[in-house]
Amino acid sequence: MATSALIPLILASLTGGLSDLNDKLLLLLNSAAGRSWLFDSIVAFFLDNDLAKAGVIGCCFLAAWYGGKSTNSTNARRKVLIATLIAAVCVITTTKVLSKTIFLPRPEIQSQKIYRLEGEQLVEMKRMPVRFMLDEESQKNYRALLSGDVETNDLGSFPSDHAGFFFAIALGIWLASRRLGWLALSWTVVVIMGGKMISAQHTPLDIAAGATVAIVELSLVQFVLRKRFSGLLEKLASLTLRYSALSSAIVFLVAFEVSSTMIHIRAFLGLLAAMRRHVLLGMG
Amino acid sequence: MKKFTIAIALFAFIFLTSCKVQKEGIVIMTDHSYKATLFATNKIGIGSPDGLLWHKGKLYFADEGGVALESWNRNEGLKKLADANVGFLSPEDLVIDAQDNIFFTDDDAGGLWEYTADGKLREVATKDKGLISTEGIALARDGSLLVGDGEQHEVFRVTRDGDVTEFLGKEAGITKPESMVFDEQGNLYIADNEDNVLYLLDTNRKLHRIIDRNDSFSPETIYYSKGSLYITDSRSGKLYVYTPGEEMKTIAAFGGQLKNVQGVTVDDQGNVFVSVQSDLKHKVGNIIEISKEETQVAKK
Repeated sequence: MATSALIPLILASLTGGLSDLNDKLLLLLNSAAGRSWLFDSIVAFFLDNDLAKAGVIGCCFLAAWYGGKSTNSTNARRKVLIATLIAAVCVITTTKVLSKTIFLPRPEIQSQKIYRLEGEQLVEMKRMPVRFMLDEESQKNYRALLSGDVETNDLGSFPSDHAGFFFAIALGIWLASRRLGWLALSWTVVVIMGGKMISAQHTPLDIAAGATVAIVELSLVQFVLRKRFSGLLEKLASLTLRYSALSSAIVFLVAFEVSSTMIHIRAFLGLLAAMRRHVLLGMG
Repeated sequence: MKKFTIAIALFAFIFLTSCKVQKEGIVIMTDHSYKATLFATNKIGIGSPDGLLWHKGKLYFADEGGVALESWNRNEGLKKLADANVGFLSPEDLVIDAQDNIFFTDDDAGGLWEYTADGKLREVATKDKGLISTEGIALARDGSLLVGDGEQHEVFRVTRDGDVTEFLGKEAGITKPESMVFDEQGNLYIADNEDNVLYLLDTNRKLHRIIDRNDSFSPETIYYSKGSLYITDSRSGKLYVYTPGEEMKTIAAFGGQLKNVQGVTVDDQGNVFVSVQSDLKHKVGNIIEISKEETQVAKK
């Protein structure tokens, strides 16, 4: 009886502790922002520029794809990388669906006075005293925020889809090639995720959750493909060797999309969604 | 196998294109001196109101979703004054004169409607007189009513006897006079939410475009109180306050299921009330109160 009463208390205490730790870590990292225009501009450049942000990951992917020392080793790498791409699609779908289901505005949005509809009342949310970066784009966004211009995407920051996607790709590269994998992982953690936290776009918890989804789904996809669909995977890898020109073109497209954070694929999905609304559901 | 593949592809297509926007509702106070409270929901009996008006301690609703004219106060609760049985379809905006007669517009049925102080409903002027899709309404000093028409792109003057004359013709260039209100000097503010312009017709009948920001401003309803004009913007989900001679300021931004802000009114204490049509089709609406935070001195 006493144990059953204790469990919720322990859980509540753990959740509270984790939330406090999350806030403290975020504020510590974010304390670097808003002090130097140069530093903030560099951070913003790596956040906004796809080539600077994700180009390195795309290059690592290509290098791992072509970098086998023998045919067997190239074949083995390609099997891992094909499974990684499938896992990355699953990860981005999962994180997107979760972030649209779980309402948690970005920390920068939470710096404002926000009321959230909970049942029959508007409840004021806890405010995050975050600092804003001094570069031009961040200041423009800050002014828009002060005028109440908030994107729907900014209201669901948990888990981080950037973290999920890039962790999945970087871990896949690490499974194919340790040296390239360390580079991709370091870039993901320091440049991409670090920038997201310094600019208060994501908390450490958002990123940890995104990374967890990536680890779990990548492991699952790698396991299932190797155990259940090893023949198919083997066939696909050998086809890439046989039709090397065609596979190179496809891999270029994949690396291009990885480097541009799949923005073009998302636009294509947006078109499909519009088609579904207008054609299938008959909405004007 | 083929059927299975098609089924998987179809499922994936529907799943990938089904991500809906959040159903959460939020209010962001851009002016931190205000606070937001959920004043009323469908639980009190309202449908999905558009026009709102505080008058002598009562809140009146032009309930577009519920197709009714309603009043509410703390003691009596919600009272239905008139409903769809009498011929109106989509109550839009309302004004009340000093004798407590209520006048309202209807953008679907058209015409100008009156609910008299002694509880009778009549159509003051019908569609046949040119009031095809009536939107904004304002009570002039001489007792006549100014009615904006979204189909005719004009503003008409309607007398209590139902005579309709042109007040601002097509040449004025107002495409959709969605909402109108007089200030204490007799200047008329007109909100055009199709061209996204806020006009001011001064006492010399000169028309000024006072706010004209196509990309980020679409005035839905305007209400004048104590020197300030309160403006709702249903496109960007915002509540603004405009004081002549000053910059327009955003008080609050609304998001999720609270984004579609419509009517606005202010009570005697200066509290602002905004109607939100969360889902007009399914008659889901809310009333949000935006009031000043009590200062520490006031609390003491």
